[in-house]
Amino acid sequence: MSLPSFVTAQFVISALTIVVAIHAILIGCAYLIYLERKISAYIQDRIGPNRVGFDFGLPFMPKFHFWGLGQSLADGVKFLLKEDYMPKGADPFLFTLAPVAILVPALIGFAIVPWGGIWICPDITVPILGWVIPGGPVHIAGAAVNIGLVYLLAVAAVGIYGVVLGGWASNNKYSFLGALRASSQMLSYEIPMGLSLLVVLLMTGSLLPMKIIEHQVAHGWLIVSQPLAAIIFFLCVLAECNRAPFDNAECEQELVGGYHTEYSSMRFALFFLAEYAHMVTNSAMFAVLFLGGFHLPFIGALSPHETGLFAVVAKIAVLTLKIILLISFMMLIRWSLPRLRFDQVMQSAWQGVIPLSMILLVMNAVLVQQRATSLPSLLVANLALAALVLLIQRLLPRPDMNRKVRLPGSRFHPPLHEDVRTRPTLALALEDRPVEGSSPMAGARF
Amino acid sequence: MDLSSYLPILLLITMAVVFAVANISLTLALGPSRQGPVKGTTYESGMDPFGTARKRFNVRFYLIAMVFLVFDIEIIFLYPWAVAFPNLQAGTTESWVWLGRILFFLLTTVVAYVYGYRKGVFRFD
Repeated sequence: MSLPSFVTAQFVISALTIVVAIHAILIGCAYLIYLERKISAYIQDRIGPNRVGFDFGLPFMPKFHFWGLGQSLADGVKFLLKEDYMPKGADPFLFTLAPVAILVPALIGFAIVPWGGIWICPDITVPILGWVIPGGPVHIAGAAVNIGLVYLLAVAAVGIYGVVLGGWASNNKYSFLGALRASSQMLSYEIPMGLSLLVVLLMTGSLLPMKIIEHQVAHGWLIVSQPLAAIIFFLCVLAECNRAPFDNAECEQELVGGYHTEYSSMRFALFFLAEYAHMVTNSAMFAVLFLGGFHLPFIGALSPHETGLFAVVAKIAVLTLKIILLISFMMLIRWSLPRLRFDQVMQSAWQGVIPLSMILLVMNAVLVQQRATSLPSLLVANLALAALVLLIQRLLPRPDMNRKVRLPGSRFHPPLHEDVRTRPTLALALEDRPVEGSSPMAGARF
Repeated sequence: MDLSSYLPILLLITMAVVFAVANISLTLALGPSRQGPVKGTTYESGMDPFGTARKRFNVRFYLIAMVFLVFDIEIIFLYPWAVAFPNLQAGTTESWVWLGRILFFLLTTVVAYVYGYRKGVFRFD
């Protein structure tokens, strides 16, 4: 049997990259959940999961907890053993399809990420079949396709189907509302994402991630020369992943769990995995587009022209490190900022971010036409636009939907000449709750 | 047209689908299954659910979908332009024409945006 024409060195390396990356991402997602629980615990002055080690209650195993690292494994087994329940009135086919429809786009998005640049592959000999696959320069990426970033946008748009199907099939009003919110939010933030991607394309003149990284190696990272586009893109990444402060799809206080309220066992876990896989893919794209991908300044081994095996490993390590740092940043944001209200999210999309990104696009088009794309001119233009936005924002009429209504007699608007007391003044009440370091009668601070 | 560079993506999609389907099948096979009249109801904060969830919803979401189509198709058309435009000769008449054309194209979207704004499509109060 002769060598099929599609089996090239690129195909072999791509398949290898995909098999390794999909496993790394799935296991990584499990440990990202652990990381998120730890980060939230430390922010809230708790300790977080620290009990489950790898002994699983078996005898003769070392009773060491490994800082709770067994938690993710135990969770996975638990999800498998739980009851997979479907409420009455749910659409069985769509109810089953939804977790698949949300996980698959989340997992296939990373195919165009150039993990390790270009490697000079030696000839590969397949032992039993007797094939010799000719070597040559190959991309260490899932797929070296020439549409590049268009693939990313296309895959990101498909992810909405899972959300809508999950909410629609559950026959739960909360799920349905969550799905409506999530889909309209993801649609709205896809537009500024595409527009800020266009700014990157105007700078680099190529759709290929490798070319974009080479441009950044030559001219500096794009987060330095295009800070506004980077900020808009990061905002859109947060909104696309349904991460706080944009997690209206599943705001616990209003909608129970949003579109996955009715899901249990592994189907719920698939929704959860999809959210984290989305974060990995989108952080990888942010790192490639704005943070120079696998490049670090002043390190020769990380330049795109290094094609040795050591350089490839170092590049993969650097890109992975950047992705982990970005995801940790997203987690810090989640546990620091309160959730935006739904109308605030949508208004900031349609009346804020979309006009701003269109102005940014026109500005960059004019700058490119004038070839004024040096770092100082781009920085000045970005700063001028930011200042202009801040200035115009002052002058725009403010919506009055949240204005404070005076309620005479309330604690905040007491009647004239009336003193409002917000702390106990009775001696007995103060004795009940004495404040440390001060006598109860000396105007204790509450 | 040579599409063989897309074959790894096919492999990737297959792996993702197999992973999802295998997990759902496994949990169906391993997990317990007990039905009940109360257990079958949807969870709506403990109230007895009434009616169906698939009722009419706010027309605003439909408007969002319509406006999204306008903007998204516009962005798709901008991609080939954005790739070709920086590679043109600087300062030539050609580059001015390309810039003018795309500004006019964006202007049509701005008209749509202003129309939608005046109609109150972008108000969510």
